[in-house]
Amino acid sequence: MAKDVEGPEGFQTRDYEDPPPTPFFDADELTKWSLYRAVIAEFVATLLFLYITVLTVIGYKIQSDTKAGGVDCGGVGILGIAWAFGGMIFILVYCTAGISGGHINPAVTFGLFLARKVSLIRAVLYMVAQCLGAICGVGFVKAFQSSYYDRYGGGANSLADGYNTGTGLAAEIIGTFVLVYTVFSATDPKRNARDSHVPVLAPLPIGFAVFMVHLATIPITGTGINPARSFGAAVIYNKSKPWDDHWIFWVGPFIGAAIAAFYHQFVLRASGSKSLGSFRSAANV
Amino acid sequence: MEGKEEDVRVGANKFPERQPIGTSAQTDKDYKEPPPAPFFEPGELSSWSFYRAGIAEFIATFLFLYITVLTVMGVKRAPNMCASVGIQGIAWAFGGMIFALVYCTAGISGGHINPAVTFGLFLARKLSLTRAVFYIVMQCLGAICGAGVVKGFQPNPYQTLGGGANTVAHGYTKGSGLGAEIIGTFVLVYTVFSATDAKRSARDSHVPILAPLPIGFAVFLVHLATIPITGTGINPARSLGAAIIYNKDHAWDDHWIFWVGPFIGAALAALYHQLVIRAIPFKSRS
Repeated sequence: MAKDVEGPEGFQTRDYEDPPPTPFFDADELTKWSLYRAVIAEFVATLLFLYITVLTVIGYKIQSDTKAGGVDCGGVGILGIAWAFGGMIFILVYCTAGISGGHINPAVTFGLFLARKVSLIRAVLYMVAQCLGAICGVGFVKAFQSSYYDRYGGGANSLADGYNTGTGLAAEIIGTFVLVYTVFSATDPKRNARDSHVPVLAPLPIGFAVFMVHLATIPITGTGINPARSFGAAVIYNKSKPWDDHWIFWVGPFIGAAIAAFYHQFVLRASGSKSLGSFRSAANV
Repeated sequence: MEGKEEDVRVGANKFPERQPIGTSAQTDKDYKEPPPAPFFEPGELSSWSFYRAGIAEFIATFLFLYITVLTVMGVKRAPNMCASVGIQGIAWAFGGMIFALVYCTAGISGGHINPAVTFGLFLARKLSLTRAVFYIVMQCLGAICGAGVVKGFQPNPYQTLGGGANTVAHGYTKGSGLGAEIIGTFVLVYTVFSATDAKRSARDSHVPILAPLPIGFAVFLVHLATIPITGTGINPARSLGAAIIYNKDHAWDDHWIFWVGPFIGAALAALYHQLVIRAIPFKSRS
């Protein structure tokens, strides 16, 4: 891109600046309301996410259960469930992007933490808020229809018959890679510059990434790619099968997020190399 | 994004807030929070734009009910669910229509098309009481006419197939229905607040092109989730229009849920956005 070419005086003509790495511990942010507001926003967003999505899952199973009053092709379909997940991420990222960064997913928070975009304190607080929000969201679903909830699997993630543990783990790793890689691309300051600093469309590809991963992996694991989502449903449903498989939904997403962080930071943006001065003389840094 | 004056202090506040992830670089506020709307503004009664806005709300709600209730009737009349657009198609009709209509009327009336949205924005002091009441009346009238046209197309099937009216489904308590309406409306009105936030507009470089899209998606998603419970109201005008034209006891028995729930949800969304997210009452500088 012409934007990256050095000007005649040897100075960079880039119109963007990569933010400096966030310190691991930033005690000062604990004194700001904006941190607590961000945590509250993550809690509420994850609560709404789980409420809408798990309610959609249970509603679909009720309406398509032909032995209990449902009908063939009843309910919103598996496609509708995928839309619920992807669409909900779209609107929640849209609503909370300016408040908390719109993570709504511990794997996204973990990936951004590895890329030094959030501090450790903030990352931990976000993850706790996300898990609590997830539990509350599924709790609402159960409160509204407890017998249906228990009868139809509680929206919990577990490995489907016919797939082995390794397959489920790999599906979660690659699915989360797709999501977190899209998040990195959507929030890249270089991309913002290229898009003339109009980030209005950032939530849309993130929501679509979630939607498409759900299309692909609902048959395998019900699609976790969000440890808070899996955790919330497992806690409220509380049966042994989901708990037996639960480790897949933390290990897989965290590995996928780490790979995405590495790929974006070190391969696509080569920021690690830049910071080491490998490609430039000291005078130009 | 936020200068020192923007943040509400919890303790010492020596340094400006670091730029949130994913936001464009902005070092100063280039937006201004609009002042609270007066409760009564007699001047607007003599302005054509006031009546034009009301007419726009009427037409938008009329079209909304016409498209959505007709879609519902199409699904009900089909020989089986596989031969129709299905429940997901109904959800798309509601969400997609809100997207299109908000896009068309945003600059004229604010594109509410929903008494709960009007109520939430009124609580946030974004429009006057006069305008809020006028909008709600026009929305209800538009809804009645929209459902009326659908009945006009097919009087007998309309009455035998439920008329697209909202009721609490078998297997659910009225409390569950009320809860679903409250949370569903919270999702919608909260999205409306986020989409119309002055600060967001500045962050998006004042490009409002896509504000209607998340609002339409919010409606679509809530319908996916709560159609099995209540047929999804989250819009008192929509529920009222269908109930009046259908006019059966069981629709009226549950009707209170579709006003109380949405209005509570809208109030909660207004509180959350104004007090927690924007902390407007606590700003040290106006």
